[in-house]
Amino acid sequence: MKKELVELKVNGRTHELAIEPSALLLDVLRQDLGLTGSKRGCDESSCGACTVLVDGVAMMSCTLLAASCEGQEITTVEGVSQHGSLAAIQKAYGDWGGAQCGFCTPGFIMTVKSLLAENPDPSEDDVRAALSSNLCRCTGYSQMYAAIRSAIAAEQQGTAAK
Amino acid sequence: MSDFSVIGKPTAMVDAAEKTTGGGKYTDDLSVPGMLVGKILHSPYPHARIKHIDTTRAEMLDGVVAVVIGKDAPNPYGILPVGHDEHALALDKVRYVGDNVACVVAISEAVAEKALELVDVQYEVLPAYFDPEESMKAQTDLIHDNKPGNVEKDYHHVFGDPDKGFAEADRVAEARFIANEVTHAAMEPHSTLASFELDPHTGKLGRLTVWSSTQVPYYLQHKLSLVLEMPMAQIRVIKPLVGGGFGGKSEVIPLEIIAAVAARKAQAPVKITYTREEVFWAHRGRPRTIIDLKTGVKNDGRITAVKARVVQDGGAYCSYGVVTILYSGALLGALYDIPHIQYDGYRVLTNKPACGAMRGHGTVNVRFAFESQLDELAAAIGMDPAEIRRRNLLKPPCITVNGLRVQSYGLPECIEKIVERSSWKQRRGKLPRGRGLGIACSHYVSGAANSIIRSDMPHSTVNIKIDRDGGVVVYTGASEIGQGSDTMTAQVAAEILGCSLPRVRVIAADTDLTPIDIGSYSSRVTFMAGNATLRAAEDVKKRIAAAAAKKMNCAADDLVFRDDLVFKKGSAPPSAKKDQSEEAEVTQTGASVSGRVEGQILRGSLQQKRKEEGAKEWMTFEEAVVAAIDFHGALTGTGSYAPPPEARGGKHKGGGVGPSPAYSYSAQIAEVSVDKDTGEVTVHKIWAAHDCGRALNPVSVEGQIIGSVWMGMGQALTEEMVWKDGMLMNAGMLEYRSPSSVESPEVEPIIVESIDPEGPFGAKECSEGSLAATIPAISNAIFDAVGVRLHESPFTPERVLAALRAQRRDKALNLTEGVDPTAPARFREHGGALCFKGKGPERHALDPARREAPAVAGGAD
Amino acid sequence: MSLPQFRLLRPRSVDEAVTNLARYSGNVRVLAGGTDLIPSMRQKLFEPEYVLDLRGNAELRGVRPQADGGVEIGALTTLSAIEKSTYLRQHFPVLTEAVATVASPVLRNMGTVGGNICLDTRCLWYNQSLTWRKGCGFCIKKDGDLCHVAPGGTKCWAAFCGDTPPALLCLNAEIEIVGIDGPRRLPLQEFYTGDGENYRRLLSSELVTRVFLPADSADYRGVYRKLRVRGSIDYPLAGVAVVMKRSNGQVADARLAITAVNPAPLLVQRASEMLIGKAVDEALADAVGEVAARTAKPLTTSALTPEYRREMIRVFTKRAVLAAASN
Repeated sequence: MKKELVELKVNGRTHELAIEPSALLLDVLRQDLGLTGSKRGCDESSCGACTVLVDGVAMMSCTLLAASCEGQEITTVEGVSQHGSLAAIQKAYGDWGGAQCGFCTPGFIMTVKSLLAENPDPSEDDVRAALSSNLCRCTGYSQMYAAIRSAIAAEQQGTAAK
Repeated sequence: MSDFSVIGKPTAMVDAAEKTTGGGKYTDDLSVPGMLVGKILHSPYPHARIKHIDTTRAEMLDGVVAVVIGKDAPNPYGILPVGHDEHALALDKVRYVGDNVACVVAISEAVAEKALELVDVQYEVLPAYFDPEESMKAQTDLIHDNKPGNVEKDYHHVFGDPDKGFAEADRVAEARFIANEVTHAAMEPHSTLASFELDPHTGKLGRLTVWSSTQVPYYLQHKLSLVLEMPMAQIRVIKPLVGGGFGGKSEVIPLEIIAAVAARKAQAPVKITYTREEVFWAHRGRPRTIIDLKTGVKNDGRITAVKARVVQDGGAYCSYGVVTILYSGALLGALYDIPHIQYDGYRVLTNKPACGAMRGHGTVNVRFAFESQLDELAAAIGMDPAEIRRRNLLKPPCITVNGLRVQSYGLPECIEKIVERSSWKQRRGKLPRGRGLGIACSHYVSGAANSIIRSDMPHSTVNIKIDRDGGVVVYTGASEIGQGSDTMTAQVAAEILGCSLPRVRVIAADTDLTPIDIGSYSSRVTFMAGNATLRAAEDVKKRIAAAAAKKMNCAADDLVFRDDLVFKKGSAPPSAKKDQSEEAEVTQTGASVSGRVEGQILRGSLQQKRKEEGAKEWMTFEEAVVAAIDFHGALTGTGSYAPPPEARGGKHKGGGVGPSPAYSYSAQIAEVSVDKDTGEVTVHKIWAAHDCGRALNPVSVEGQIIGSVWMGMGQALTEEMVWKDGMLMNAGMLEYRSPSSVESPEVEPIIVESIDPEGPFGAKECSEGSLAATIPAISNAIFDAVGVRLHESPFTPERVLAALRAQRRDKALNLTEGVDPTAPARFREHGGALCFKGKGPERHALDPARREAPAVAGGAD
Repeated sequence: MSLPQFRLLRPRSVDEAVTNLARYSGNVRVLAGGTDLIPSMRQKLFEPEYVLDLRGNAELRGVRPQADGGVEIGALTTLSAIEKSTYLRQHFPVLTEAVATVASPVLRNMGTVGGNICLDTRCLWYNQSLTWRKGCGFCIKKDGDLCHVAPGGTKCWAAFCGDTPPALLCLNAEIEIVGIDGPRRLPLQEFYTGDGENYRRLLSSELVTRVFLPADSADYRGVYRKLRVRGSIDYPLAGVAVVMKRSNGQVADARLAITAVNPAPLLVQRASEMLIGKAVDEALADAVGEVAARTAKPLTTSALTPEYRREMIRVFTKRAVLAAASN
């Protein structure tokens, strides 16, 4: 199929790309833009390893056509760390064992990011429910809760300091 | 309490930032110039002879570079030397739906997929075997010609005098347990990238580099050499980040061989990444296991004898099967003191994907049966289930009746801890009906004492290099797969060398750079690669100490290495004296190049200053290193580990599997509730105590315990591979139900440290041993809650409800699927491809049944 | 697994969409949230020449309360938006409850109510890759001519597995369908055919654009119960929605619908008859459960056995009725 030119805004940068209409956002991110942080873990929109934010809303990039995201703000895991340092949630996932093999981690980071943007102080149940979009085979999720609590505390401290 | 500076503290993994930022590269994230995509054609039949393969139509498709078939690489291979029954691509027969028939190499995935449909394969369909007990009766159409009765291997072990044991028993329980098939479902689908270089001398294809999602780079190098008929020295295997293994990447998986063969034929780099469905077909998971178990106990709770007959539905190839069936028997020992054991194990071939090693390899399903039966016997003699386990403890150091050496044994403390934390004594029996507590124990090896490749080579070797910059580079063949292997390695090296963790860089799992390590499986890395690292660090430290001792006018033995300093034993650690600017420099290891250069200049002037001062009271680590390098040149050290002969087990046939230099122990209590109308089981909490010898990195140890328990819970409640006549009905993450966060319970990990005499700093395994106890702990808790004993896992709501109905003598819940009793039992009998004789014009152009028709004009569409 | 190649149509209005649908009729699939269509296209269940992407059509989004107390929901409104709507939560709680059980939070951010209504019927022999289906010799619903769950049958039994339609049926929802000749309104109940293969009454040139909840369905108590193995991600294996209004301790009005156990979501008419005018007790709830279970015709289209799933329709119905009648 003939490729078409589209403009994708990813992590604040606009890219002009020639892509096939059937190209999935995940494949364009990984193959055309080299942003391999988003992962493909299944083929049926079930595992969440490919989760990105589209206009701030968590979505599965394996289930979106890249062309249909034109004009929207896409944030991938590569856009999470800022000013050369780990975001609180990234640091906390490392410290508390929230990531083992790390393959599902980018998806979780994006899901948590969208959760905290919407609800900066979620209850344990809120967190549990939010994380249920993503599958992890290593951690049993437990250490992620500790990581998220710690990241929230760090954020609050940071905000208080300012 | 020993005083360590690096180990024993919760430490973020050395590769954590790579993982949380998405910057780390897994195999599928890699690409090399000119790389092509490989796609595999799989068999639609469970058992068929390949009469003819015609690849011409596929080859003619625009964008297709090569089509590879079996005869392109006919050498057989298999992970076990006794089980070389696989080929890169099927030679003459396919043995399961999903078996590998051909591989198309093309410029894109879409083109390759299209071309797959243009490969014409003619099959002669053969009768297939799906049930192991049926399969064992086969006379004709054997799955492998050299395996009569489709039995891959059977073992018959008798230790002690079981008949005498049962005669002494006051109570004997006997039952059949079935544990259905589960798979690893690691989040990363397998991926391999293979690339040849042109040889400058011959001008032909030369060295091969393979990047692959593997737990065993060395075995992969070995098998590639076998199939490609290339010397191992010409093959380099690199393991990038691996997105989980759990055993599913612990042997050579078909795509790894196929990618290399395809790259050779296409004369270009080829990457193959499995779809999730292909991951399920590659499988190598835990086989469906039928366990006929008999246990006798005396009224005082002592076990008198155990007899187990185990049949494993192994799938179509040997894989690790011979080892699995041996583990199932051998690991009846080494947990409790059992005087008499009889074991009959059958590993049976069926026309389904091969089963292999999965977390808790071999022990899990039998442990489910054993711990359930022990619970039943405790009830029969009116004993607390925790108490009956205490009555049967080993008294180490000892050698079990089946020849396993046990030295460190934290099981008593594990039981004590969970009983206390869960308030077992106060709460058990007092919970409302429908809620219950269950206990179970398990154990696992810290690596196998005998390698699967028989040789005298060490199981792990580690090299360390330290150069003038004071950076410590550890070269290890051990594979980080998410379990924390690299971090453990860095910690052990840093602890021995007394340097800070950021100073240590781990180069792992690259066969060109790292010495041989047999890989990350059977929970061997901390114990074996850890010991090798420890020895390598000691080796290099000796040289540093000798040089430093000269400068400090003392004996090398009198020196202490700690916190990036070297000082004399007994003197106060000179931390106060440390130069501030130097401190800053040290913590910046790994900063910019210019920073490092400046640091060296600074260090140089510092050294000069010290020289003028004469003999020193203390030195920085870097000064000591420089002193040693002035003497030797770049420092290197090497260390290796081979299990001691005493740990290698008995001499009986098959006695090589089961022995380990050390065993981990776990005891667990699960709290569940059961909905009596729906049969739904909710796990509220699991207390899991695990004896890991010594916790080198507590946060990782806890992560491994929780992860194991959680995976056990998945097998206990939701995970099951569902088959219909050789068709896997749930080959995806949607229908294969790996638990989500909402139904995953709180797991309270409790670390027990028994300090093993041979483990590195006393450490043993922590990643597998806990899994096996979870399934019976849940099953026993269900019994406590509602009084039904489940004999088949997973405990799906319908199985639980059926048991509840039977108990209440209610209307039976009929779990056979057909609503129509006259319907054929097998789908192939009523229209599956195997015997379809129809001619429906609506049938898809690709329907194999339509191949009979004269021509399929126009190809796929 | 790559998607089949297609041309992408991105209409800016409903009119343009419908014109395109008519022009490429039979060769075009409508893409809304994509959570059903995209995985199905990977499996080559659909290989259309054109995909009509509605994502850009803001006019089709939104929950709009009407002056009369009813509400209009754009078909492209995401399930998350419905879940979060306080208006719907207050006045049509059964919908909120059902929506909150669909798949997972992230999938609800993508999936739309129109998509959930139009959801393709599902079967373990159908929702599989092309390679897999080759192995089973295909089936009536796609590429073949036999049924694996009802041997010898000529009808497709693929199950309708949407969570919101039973709730919408209880609320007497109507949908707006726009075709080349303009819009028409249809009670949702009449949208489904009961045949697994051609499961809905929608021409390939038509588009579902809006959902209407009538004013007289507002303020019923509502309960949705769903059988699934995992607490998230899963499609329902059985589902029951109940709405009820009571006065003086008796049921003034009630409706009950079931899903995931037939090729269509079904209102159980008999349940209303049994409940209205009665005070709900265990025995009545039991009896309603029996009736609902008899309406269910689960086959081996999904995980868990048909017998168990039918049994759960009985248990869940009883529980839902009791819950709706409790304070």
